[in-house]
Order: sequence, then C-alpha cells, then structure tokens
Amino acid sequence: MEEIVLGIGITALAGALATVAGAAEDTESDIGSQGDPNSQVQLAPQMGYIHRIFNKAISGEPPAYGAWCVIGAGVAWALMQINYNPALAIILGAVIAVFVQGIYCTSGYLGRTASLAKFQQPVYIDIIKSLTPVTMAHSFVAIFCTVAMCYLMATALHHPFALPLLGLVWGIALGAAGSATGNPFYGKERQYQNQKFGAGVPISASGNIVRYAEAGQRSSLDNGWFTTKFAGPASGICFGLIVFLELWRTVLFEKMMSGWGAIIMGIVLILIFTFIDRWIEVWGRKTYGPYGTTEEASS
Amino acid sequence: MSALGGAAAGGEGINPTGTVVGIVILLVSIAATYALGFSIIPLIGIIIGGALIGFGVHFVPVGGAPAAMGQAPGIATGVAMLAAGAGLAGLFGGAWAYEATGDFAVAIAGGAVGGGLMMAITCMMVNATYVFAMGIPAASGKVDKDPITGDTFPAYKSQGTEGHGLPFISFFGGVIGGLIAGLGGTLIYIELLEIYHVGLPAIMQADAAAIEPLAISMAGILAIGFFLVNAVLAAYNITGTIEGPHDPKFKRVPRAVIGCAVASAFCGFISMLIVLNTGM
Amino acid sequence: MTVKMEASEGGMPHNTLMIYGIVVAVVGTYLTYLNVVTGIAVFSFFGGIAAIAALWWGSDTIKHLCSYGLGTGVPSAGMVAFGSGAIAMIAGTKFGLASPIVTLILAAILGAVIGYIANSIINMNIPVMVTSLMEMAVVGAMTMLGFAAMCTGTFMFSGLVVGGMTLSMEPSAGAAGGAQTFLVTVLPEFAGSLIGGAALAVIFFLGAMALQHPFNACLGPNESQDRTLMLAIEVGFLSMFVVAVMSYAFLDLVSATVGVAISLIGWFYSYKQYIALSKRDAYDWLDAKPIREVGGDQ
Repeated sequence: MEEIVLGIGITALAGALATVAGAAEDTESDIGSQGDPNSQVQLAPQMGYIHRIFNKAISGEPPAYGAWCVIGAGVAWALMQINYNPALAIILGAVIAVFVQGIYCTSGYLGRTASLAKFQQPVYIDIIKSLTPVTMAHSFVAIFCTVAMCYLMATALHHPFALPLLGLVWGIALGAAGSATGNPFYGKERQYQNQKFGAGVPISASGNIVRYAEAGQRSSLDNGWFTTKFAGPASGICFGLIVFLELWRTVLFEKMMSGWGAIIMGIVLILIFTFIDRWIEVWGRKTYGPYGTTEEASS
Repeated sequence: MSALGGAAAGGEGINPTGTVVGIVILLVSIAATYALGFSIIPLIGIIIGGALIGFGVHFVPVGGAPAAMGQAPGIATGVAMLAAGAGLAGLFGGAWAYEATGDFAVAIAGGAVGGGLMMAITCMMVNATYVFAMGIPAASGKVDKDPITGDTFPAYKSQGTEGHGLPFISFFGGVIGGLIAGLGGTLIYIELLEIYHVGLPAIMQADAAAIEPLAISMAGILAIGFFLVNAVLAAYNITGTIEGPHDPKFKRVPRAVIGCAVASAFCGFISMLIVLNTGM
Repeated sequence: MTVKMEASEGGMPHNTLMIYGIVVAVVGTYLTYLNVVTGIAVFSFFGGIAAIAALWWGSDTIKHLCSYGLGTGVPSAGMVAFGSGAIAMIAGTKFGLASPIVTLILAAILGAVIGYIANSIINMNIPVMVTSLMEMAVVGAMTMLGFAAMCTGTFMFSGLVVGGMTLSMEPSAGAAGGAQTFLVTVLPEFAGSLIGGAALAVIFFLGAMALQHPFNACLGPNESQDRTLMLAIEVGFLSMFVVAVMSYAFLDLVSATVGVAISLIGWFYSYKQYIALSKRDAYDWLDAKPIREVGGDQ
C-alpha cells in the first residue's frame, strides 16, 4: 500500500514536471521559431519580405529535444557515476545541454540567413544577442524538468531503462507533443495574424508573415509573449497528460489481473479521449458552421 | 507541398525486381541466422515488428509545414519523428510491463496501448488548438466525406487551403498508428532482449542477473535504432505528408511493409552477430 | 522546409572528401589504441578527432543526397544513418583489434541494403541513394565508434560494456583480510558502462544531430561548401565536448581534461571561423538596425 502511495506521489510530481517542461519547450521553440512554422520565416525573404524574426533552423522539435534531453540525462548519469549528488548532476547536465542548444541556435540562424543573401536578407546580429539567452533559459527549464522526471522514473518507479535512454524516449515525446500542439498556434495565429481569424492561411498568402509590431518591428520575443497565452500551456497539458496517465495507469493497475489491468485502463483512457475529441470536433462544426458560399474552397 | 515533396517520388506501384531481391535478402538473412546456430524465432519477431512499424507510420496523420499554417490537415510535425514519439512512448510502457510481469502478451499489449494513448492525447490537443484557439473546424482535403462519421467537409474547408485540423478519420488513424507502432517497437525490443538475455551471459561468462542492465540497455538502444530506420523508410514511402488511412497515398503501404520487413531482417541478423562467439 | 535545395557547386570534390574522411576516421580510431600500448588514457581524444572527420565527410554526403529531394526533411537522413550505424557499430566492436575495419565494412553492407530497399522497393529512384546511404551508415558507425572510443578509451566490446579503464569503483575490499581480494575484478559493473548505462544513446543522438545540422542549417541559394563544412567541424567539436565531459565517468581526471581542453579549443576556433564565413556570405551584417524593405506589398 505504501509503495502505491509513494508511486502516486511520484506520478503526480512527474506529471507536474512534464507540464512545466511542455510549456517551456513550446515557448522556446516559438521564440526561436523552430520546426515547421519556421518554413514561413525562411520563405518570407524569398517573397520580398525582409524580417527580424529568429530563424532557428535546427531539425524539427522531436529530434532536437531528443538530443537536448539525452545530453542532459547522459551528462547527469556520467556525473552520478562519479558520485555527484543527483540534484547537482541533473543541473550540470541541463547546463551543458543548454550550452549545446544555444550554440546550435546561433549557428542555425547564421547559416540559414547567410544562405539567403540572394534575397537581400541581412544578418541582424542583435537578434542572436538578445534572443539566444531567452531561448536558452526556456530550454533549460524544459530540459531540467524532463531529466528530473526521468530520474524519478528510473529511481523511484524502477523503470528498467537507464537514465540516458529515458531522456531520449521522453525528449522525443516532449518534442512531438509540443510541436504537434503548439505549431499551428504559432504558425497560423501569430505569424499570419493579419489573415482572417477562423480560417486557414490561403496558400497564396504564404510568406507574407507579420513583421511589424504595435509599435516598431516585431521581434521573436513578441511571439513568445503571444504563444505563452495558449500554445505553451496547451503543450504543457498535452505532455503532462501523456506522462501522468502513462505512469498512473501502470502504477495503479499493474498488479491487477496479472498486468492486464493497466492495459484495460489504457484502452478506457483512449476511448475517453476519443470521445472528447469527437465532442470538440462536433462542437467546432456546430458553433462555427460552414464557411460562406463566397468562400467556397477553390481547390 | 514543399519543394522537397514530389519530384523524386516514384510511382504508386510495386517494383517487381526490387521486391524479389528484397525477399531474397530477407530469406538469406534468416538462413544465415540459422546457419550460425541461432534460433530464428526472435528474428521472425523482429521482422514482424519492423513490418508493423512501417505499416503503422502510414496511419499517422502528418501535415508537415502546411499544417502549421492551417493549409493542410494533419499534425504539424515530421512524420518519422511523430511516429517515433508515439512508438517510443509505447516502448517505455512495454519495457516497463515486461520488467514487471515478464509476460510477453502483456508487454506488447502495454506497448501498443502506450503508443495509442500518446497519440490519442496529442491528436485531441491538436483539435483543441484548432477549434478553441483558432476557431477553425476540422476538414479533410482528400475526401469529401468522413468514412467513419459521415461528416461532409467541402463546406468546412476555408478558402485557398486543402483543409485543416484533424477530422475524426485522421484522429482514428493517429490512434491506430500509435498502437501499431508501439506494438512493433515493443516486439522488436522484447525479441532483442531475449537474444541478449540468453546470449550475453554465455559469451561474457558472467552472471545473468548482473548482465541484465546491459542486455536491457543494448536492446533499448538497438530498438530505437530499428525504429528510426523503419520509420524513416516509411516516411520516404509517404514522401512527407499523409492524412491518414483514407489518403490515396495509403495505397503505397505494401511497399513500405515489404521494405521494412527486409530492412529489419538484415538489421536483425547484424544485431545477432553481437552475441556470436568470436573468441574475443 | 519550403526553401529550394540547391547544393553548391565547386569546392572540394566529394570523393576527395570521402577519402580524407575515411582515412582520418579509421586512423584516429586506431590511435586510441595507444592507450593500451602506453598504459595511459590521454590518447582517447583521437577518437573524437576520428568522429569529427566522419561527420565532416557525412555532412557533404547528406548535401548530395538531399539535393534530390527526399520528400521529408534533412534530419531524417541523419536518423537513418545513425539508426543503421548503431547496429553496425555495436556488432563491429566484437572483433577486437580489427573492430574499426569490421565496423566500416558491416556498416557499408547495411547501408547498401537499406539504400537498395529505399531505392528499389520503396521506389524512390534516386541515383545516388545506394551510395549515399552506404556512406551515411559508415559515417554513423564510425562517428559512434570514435566517440565511444574517446569516452571509454577503447573501441573494443569488452571495454564498452564493462565499466571503463578505471575499474576502481568497487570499494568492497575494505576488510582487513588480504590485499589479494583487490585483484578480483571479475565482478564488473555492467550498469556503469557506456552501453550498459545507455550512455551510447547520447552519442547516438549527438552524432545524428551533428550529421544533419550543417547542411540543414546552411541550405539555401547561397549555401557554400566551405561554410557548411566549417559548421560540420564546429558541431563536431561541440559534440566532442559533451563526450569529453561524459568521459570523466570512465577515464582518469587528466585524460578527460585533455579531451575537454582540446574540444573547447577546437570548438572555439571553428566557431570563430564559421562566424567569419557567415559574415563573408551574408548579404549584410547589421547590429540593431531596422528592417530594410526591398519589395512586398508594403
């Protein structure tokens, strides 16, 4: 009984850490403009729209966060092998991972922007100086929380995988959850804020991203300010739910029916989420209704 | 969609010569495994697991960059890595269940459910973002009517786009894809673990209990390697984006299943060389 | 990514690059054997140099492959390279002193098979597919072998699965019995080894990121080979730094510090060079200046 109580406590803590990690991850990737929405930042100069948005051309978020979290977890693991205190080891691991992340950010911006010389997009070096520390700070939070969560899974919940492997698995899942949930909000709502609300961006508008702010010129920091209001927390909830429910169903129901309890619970959860999803879809269709006849799809 | 998609993609059909050569490679891998004195049952498991991953990736609705702008339906990220996210979350659950129960069926079912749960939550949050934050209803670009719910889409598609969000068929595809990918990944992991569990103590002359962490880590790393190879091959077959099981591209699935089976057979053969006694 | 992929012409021919890459990778990996010959582990950093050479060559290969348009991003090519490379590398280390050569051959065969599958079964019909995936599997395997050799001081299976060169982590010999109990190292700690602790996963992803990043970051109409390759060296040294930090768990203090120092010096130099090359290629280099409009419907 005591073991289960401890397990539930660890599960809740891991879920909370995952929520923070998801929120920080998405905000970081929006400030840095990473992943799929970055294709528009990349495209804008080719269409004649010179901008001052960070162009962080690292791979998509899942491999990138897989790499950062595995670096954090691996360095923490190595330091724990030489008897460092786990808390200190995880912090140092996250610091080194963030250092690597920051260098990748700057080289991504410089590389892509320099390769756009043909379209007269200059390198704004102050973007690197002012925004890289911001993305590094957010990704420190994300990496630290993920590695700490993995440490809890390995030591308190006795998952068979070693810490670096857990870091890799959950880093990729973190990036997948964050990019899936957060990308449309940054890509559509923020980059194309000048387009109609409640409709997709017409393909003909591609590249015409918003480059000016209320006053002055939009910097990527403004994008973080905007996306933390929905995309960040939503990504946090997404990743938090994944981690929490995955642990919860195992910790509580593993012992029932020689292991099948956890699986039945998982299927029940999938059905619940399917139901919620269908409800959201129907709600959207009913509330917003079809687009007007003048806006009939042209394709 | 992007400059990357298209041009290089081959036709829809199956290349007979390539397929025959592939099947020969597969059979040679099995024969070589047998000739070296290993049991071929684990290799068969690995082949099935690889084919399942290749099959499962095709269900996952991925829209890539256009999805991030609400220009195309699907999840706005890369196909291989989203599948990897789901499959590895499944692997996490499956490995844990295998450790706790030691039951093969429970473990692979646990892996499948882990992957499916991850995709169910992710797909639900994608729709929540589209509907609640962006005011955009889900609409498919490839079909006019949802094969499951019967919803019609043309009126719900905004101007100048190919659809957006995740219609129910895509959600369903995502969950099935997560289930199958998680199942395949866990199957590969368990088969590799069995090989190393028996093989490593023999070649290292060590106690089986002491070597357990090594067997788990090695099987885990290699399972991720297998997963990435198979998922990327499937992604190459999809050429970027797919909406789910209703997408015409889904018809290409036999190629990926054959390709992933052959790749897994050969990779599985190489990974068995680790426990071959070379006397060193 | 919507930008058009245009591989730059000119510069060093790919085959020359490949030969340099293979030779330095193999020789560098073998130089870590000096650890065994001399009995001190300070030569481990040669493994990192070998890995950087492999990455340097691989980033050029990826450029040739991806200029055909794969339908999915550049990063996936790095993933398939290291997925197959990991399998070949772990199997290859089984062969004692011949390990680097065997790893290379195994990876080449594995890469060729996967390339054939992609090209003929999946019907991608890209002329360079088989050779490119073959090269990339070799790059993946050699990078992992090099970094693993740097981290643990050896490229042999037993060294990668059983602790490191410093096996003095067993404090159980504290009893006042006899001194001979200390010699019993037959109880190795598998969980504390590079593969047993899954630290190889770190090398796996460090390498996969470092392989795809140079071309992914530099692609565009004004991509130039020397800048891309300099970025490959820069991320190589950066990855080497992480591996060097991890090697504190396996090597003695001096050897690991030598690795950290070399990687930081190399990284700093190549990063400066990369910034200089970016400055050369950029349209303009502005600090806190407004957007300059060139067109659009402003």
